[in-house]
Amino acid sequence: MTSLLKVSNLVKKFGGLTATHDVSFTVEKGDSLALIGPNGAGKTTIFSQIMGEVRQTSGTIHLAGQDIGAMPTATRIRHGISRTYQVPRPFSDMTVLENIRVGLMPDSLTQMVFGRIDHDREEALALSVGLAPQDLLKSPSELSMGDLRKLELARTMATNPSVMLLDEVFAGLTVGEIAQISELIQSMRREGMTFLIVSHDLKALEPLVDRAIAINQGQKVAEGSFKEVMDNEAVVASYLGG
Amino acid sequence: MNIRWYHLALWAAFIIGMIYLPQLVSKGTLRTIIFANYLAIFAISWDVLSGRTGYVSFGHPFLIGLGAYTTAILTKRFGVPVEISIPAAVLVTMVGGSLLFLPALRVRGSYFALVTLAFMELMYQLVQVIRPDLTGGTRGMSGIQTLTRGAVNGYYLSFGLMASLGFAMWLLMKTRLGTALSAIGMNEEAVRGSGLNTTKLKLAAFMLSAFVAGLGGAFYVHYLGSIAPRALFDINFVFTIIVAAILGGASTIIGPIFGAFFLTFLLEYLRPYLPGAERYFIYGGIALLLYMYEPKGLHHVLQMALSAIKGKSRS
Ligand SMILES: Nc1ncnc2c1ncn2[C@@H]1O[C@H](COP(=O)(O)OP(=O)(O)OP(=O)(O)O)[C@@H](O)[C@H]1O
Ligand SMILES: [Mg+2]
Repeated sequence: MTSLLKVSNLVKKFGGLTATHDVSFTVEKGDSLALIGPNGAGKTTIFSQIMGEVRQTSGTIHLAGQDIGAMPTATRIRHGISRTYQVPRPFSDMTVLENIRVGLMPDSLTQMVFGRIDHDREEALALSVGLAPQDLLKSPSELSMGDLRKLELARTMATNPSVMLLDEVFAGLTVGEIAQISELIQSMRREGMTFLIVSHDLKALEPLVDRAIAINQGQKVAEGSFKEVMDNEAVVASYLGG
Repeated sequence: MNIRWYHLALWAAFIIGMIYLPQLVSKGTLRTIIFANYLAIFAISWDVLSGRTGYVSFGHPFLIGLGAYTTAILTKRFGVPVEISIPAAVLVTMVGGSLLFLPALRVRGSYFALVTLAFMELMYQLVQVIRPDLTGGTRGMSGIQTLTRGAVNGYYLSFGLMASLGFAMWLLMKTRLGTALSAIGMNEEAVRGSGLNTTKLKLAAFMLSAFVAGLGGAFYVHYLGSIAPRALFDINFVFTIIVAAILGGASTIIGPIFGAFFLTFLLEYLRPYLPGAERYFIYGGIALLLYMYEPKGLHHVLQMALSAIKGKSRS
């Protein structure tokens, strides 16, 4: 069986700095993989390469058996992969619903102009991530960090992905918000969504994943069940050292 | 689409008011309004590209000039009828403009502004050296066929053109295309991250902008009956277009129309006091005031006034 996401021998050099050093891993359909490592380990850079926002120096990326490693970002998204950002980046002068509208848009000028806007779908998406009905016409600047992360999730889900990459979904959230987002991810998992999740909040991360890989200084240092990886000496050392 | 009945009512009121205008004002004022109409067309064109996507063009006279020169040369040198030369001018502006501007749409921010400004200057130099027998060289061209006689007809033609282009662009920008173009202005990466091909979107914005600029440029030259490269490819003209658009409220179409009228009359009334370079004080002053007090421009002021009236009539 081909893996849904397969990253092979990925290398990224920024000048003299090797941010990704020969990293390989796979994510099977319906699985959830944690990607952990200290600050600056290279987690976000791996996401950016998978999405095509940063072009790898070498290595390949396959989605459902298809080589997506040279495609433009928008094309990769149309193939069913999308991400959230560590720092939420909403469209600042738009309402919550309009933000989701952009995620839902077909990549066709004629449909943009003549097609009907699916207001029900926009609203359903917003409510499904736990945004409150009274927030839908607010602008992002009026939202809490938790709501911004929910909006980010809704906009990501709007592109109808089969794999979602979540970067630091819990950063800056209150305990209550962490519980909400966690519940949301778990319910999406039950519906069969595939995840690759980065988080510094290891306690919140644990119940959301089947497996984990650990990265340090661009290199994969451990792989296995979440517990195995957490107990790994190299991983413990990297967190203490980093 | 987010179109309410009062939007259409306001458009209708605006158009009806403008139809009766020639009976109320002097010929001189009418000629000023004709200029305001053409400036509004150019500001609309700028708004569709720069107001929306944030790719700030400092070279719109380049596009306007492509349209104006094409129809001027075709009619005057080759005797082509305007029914053919004007569509040809629009086509040349869209195709020729995109050949040169497209590479520039890959560079953001000040670089885009710089590249477009450079194209304008390049065009100014080129019309003087390449085939001056066609372009009229430094002195430009005169005796170009005019489409109307008298201020009243000139007014109706320019207003009809401005209102139809303005209404069409306003409608178009109310669709998801407008939303997507605005999104590019806010965060282009995130638009790509939503699975949209931003190059295609920017090209669409550019083509619409060039269409309006080319059509406006062509009709403008057939109104003036002459073309003067130094006045056309002039940084002063660039400033007038941009300030009109942002004074009215960028990315709203209606704003730039109001901005164009406001600025035209402001400059007209201040003309005795500001013979030349002092105009730049006005541009700079307006830009500064906008930045400090009302970055969304006159359109926003009008919107607030409108909602205040609606609020009152409801209570
Ligand atoms: N565009 C870039 N140019 C140069 N260096 C970069 C670039 N992007 C990232 N880096 C470097 O690559 C390394 C990995 O950064 P990355 O953001 O991927 O780490 P991270 O694991 O996501 O860290 P954090 O936990 O802080 O988010 C860092 O040393 C960073 O400075
Ligand atoms: Mg990171």
